[in-house]
Amino acid sequence: MGRPTSSSSSIDSPNHFAFSSTASSQRDLTTDLRLGLSISIAPPFVRYLFFPIAYGTDAFTVHNQKIYIFREQWPPMKAAVAEEEHECNSSTFYVKVYMEGIPIGRKLDLLAHESYYDLIRTLEHMFHTNIIWAEAEMDRDHYEKYHVLTYEDKEGDWMMVGDVPWEMFLSAVRRLKISKC
Amino acid sequence: MHKKMAFSFPDEVLEHVFSFIQSDKDRNAVSMVCKSWYEIERWCRRKVFVGNCYAVSPRMVIRRFPEFRSIELKGKPHFADFNLVPDGWGGYVFPWIAEMAGAYPWLEEIRLKRMVVTDESLELIAKSFKNFKVLVLSSCEGFSTDGLAAIAASCKNLKELDLRDCEVDDLSAHWLSHFPETYTSLVSLNISCLGSDEASFSALERLVHRCTNLKTLRLNRAVPLDKIANILRHAPQLVEFGTGTYTADVRPDVYSDLAGVLSSCKELKSLSGFWDVIPDYLPAIYPVCSKLTSLNLSYATIQSPDLIKLVSHCPNLQRLLVLDYIEDSGLEVLASSCKDLQELRVFPSDPFGAEPNVSLTEQGLVAVSLGCPKLQSVLYFCRRMSNEALVTIARSRPNFTRFRLCIIEPKTADYLTLEPLDVGFGAIVQYCKDLRRLSLSGLLTDRVFEYIGTYAKKLEMLSVAFAGDSDLGLHHVLSGCESLRKLEIRDCPFGDKALLANAAKLETMRSLWMSSCAVSFAACKLLGQKMPRLNVEVIDERGPPDSRPENCPVDKLYIYRSIAGPRFDMPPFVWTMDEDSGLRLS
Repeated sequence: MGRPTSSSSSIDSPNHFAFSSTASSQRDLTTDLRLGLSISIAPPFVRYLFFPIAYGTDAFTVHNQKIYIFREQWPPMKAAVAEEEHECNSSTFYVKVYMEGIPIGRKLDLLAHESYYDLIRTLEHMFHTNIIWAEAEMDRDHYEKYHVLTYEDKEGDWMMVGDVPWEMFLSAVRRLKISKC
Repeated sequence: MHKKMAFSFPDEVLEHVFSFIQSDKDRNAVSMVCKSWYEIERWCRRKVFVGNCYAVSPRMVIRRFPEFRSIELKGKPHFADFNLVPDGWGGYVFPWIAEMAGAYPWLEEIRLKRMVVTDESLELIAKSFKNFKVLVLSSCEGFSTDGLAAIAASCKNLKELDLRDCEVDDLSAHWLSHFPETYTSLVSLNISCLGSDEASFSALERLVHRCTNLKTLRLNRAVPLDKIANILRHAPQLVEFGTGTYTADVRPDVYSDLAGVLSSCKELKSLSGFWDVIPDYLPAIYPVCSKLTSLNLSYATIQSPDLIKLVSHCPNLQRLLVLDYIEDSGLEVLASSCKDLQELRVFPSDPFGAEPNVSLTEQGLVAVSLGCPKLQSVLYFCRRMSNEALVTIARSRPNFTRFRLCIIEPKTADYLTLEPLDVGFGAIVQYCKDLRRLSLSGLLTDRVFEYIGTYAKKLEMLSVAFAGDSDLGLHHVLSGCESLRKLEIRDCPFGDKALLANAAKLETMRSLWMSSCAVSFAACKLLGQKMPRLNVEVIDERGPPDSRPENCPVDKLYIYRSIAGPRFDMPPFVWTMDEDSGLRLS
């Protein structure tokens, strides 16, 4: 069922906020298929919303368009309540990622990634740097632009990321660290 | 005029009168009567509350209140609880600690909510305030057990250490041993958020043993059931207790130990914890149930029959937090047994499941609303709702002050009529005249906002998601809700018009959050330029907003009033719109 776009005259802005262009005049309906996500609030609004990772798989359909809900953002509950840490069917696995020189770590859901390549791409985007891991090629003349990615395993040892198969990595990793070369 | 009247009372008399006025609102009102009252009040204010740490600078607070002993600060917006605020956004407490360390060696209490607290901050607190008594960190992060060790080692007069819902880097459980053997002043300890790694039970036991004034003890999951009896044995005076894990092999000696020690706790009024609970151990708490006023079972994955048995033993319950395993049948029993119930929170056990896993519907909420005359605060997650139920709830319980309903699937219509739930929520705001907090869900059109703008005159906080049709909805709220202080919106088709037309309203509020809406970058710039006393922050992890067309919607928008001007601790994905060019790169 279609809904009219916003057009009520009772809230037309007073003169000193005269402002002609609003989001409702944007007619560009292309979605970014490469990144696979699109959100439609109501036609003709189409928002470009891309994250390098799809956190959630929940979706519902409104106006024949799929709206994805990021799992960790809906429903609105704090993560701690009824946390199913030890359940095998848990669909998220958050680890902390620390970058050398920055005291606050960031959280990352490893299960939202399918491979090392996926993970590296996310980290490079999150931390605005080039990451070296087991399969990376580095420009040796510009090593200061690179950071090395290591992980702490269950025994507390720090290992280079990428040496073991992805699934094995997932079962061993406790946290990640990005250090200068 | 009677100018001399103001000076006919010595300041000391006024100060004495003011000392009976504790609430911030009243204190603020007092300070606005006249200049001399402002001056007297500011010198004798002992507790300062800052609802948004970026609304004012530490220096300004210290300048105005030279002798406060207690400060409460809040950082990130509420939606940070649901991961909507990216890591690194801000809310750092260190600048505040640093300023206060220099100015106030006699500071006694620090309460923080949603702030980033580093070990460095904790160490500075431990070093700077010799009479430090109370540290409450609520939903904070950024520190480790090393910082806690510093507090334990140095704060000889510490009475309260409460780490509710914090994210702590658990490096070592031995931080507890840093409390010296001579230290005995602990009254309240909440470490329920600490990790599941091995804990230092003997240090904990010794601490509890020597702190004979301990009234509140909330343990973490790592403390096993068989250790609880030993800990509790030394603390029969406890008023509030949070168990650790509540599971163990069923052994008669463990059970009788636990039951015995619990029944000797004659002052116990509040219980929580219950991780991994197995029903066989529940009867151990029956002896204390008749005195319980607060029960938090939100981690207890037990089914309805056991929950019903438990709840029927607690006739004096005022506050219950529980999972939806309680089901409608359990809520009906609650309604008939607990006539003093004031607050109820029902959380979903399987929020991501496609199908309901329990029989909990709108009927449970109706039953409790009909049966509990003192019920005033509710947070309820369910999968279906009807206008009829909401109207019944509103009519039978007009004393609601907080009503938060989350229908799990967004845009769910009235399951009976397939209509939007506008009329139902309309009834809530119409009948509940003292409503201060409201969270909406389900299928909602602009009409519900018209009701809210018309009736919700005492509403202070409104949370909206996946609702409304147009800017008219937002306009109704901003122009109608006179008491509105906090508005948080996600995934609604609200754009520029309502925001710009109601710009002045934003200065009367603490903050506005809008994410995944339709507010354009151009409107944000305009707002920032025209309203110098607002910080208009655009949060966008896609990159600088000026790399896209101006009429492109921003991802997240956080607007708050401030007399401190734009902040300078923003991460690369936050931009403040200000008077200059409308764009400041961090």
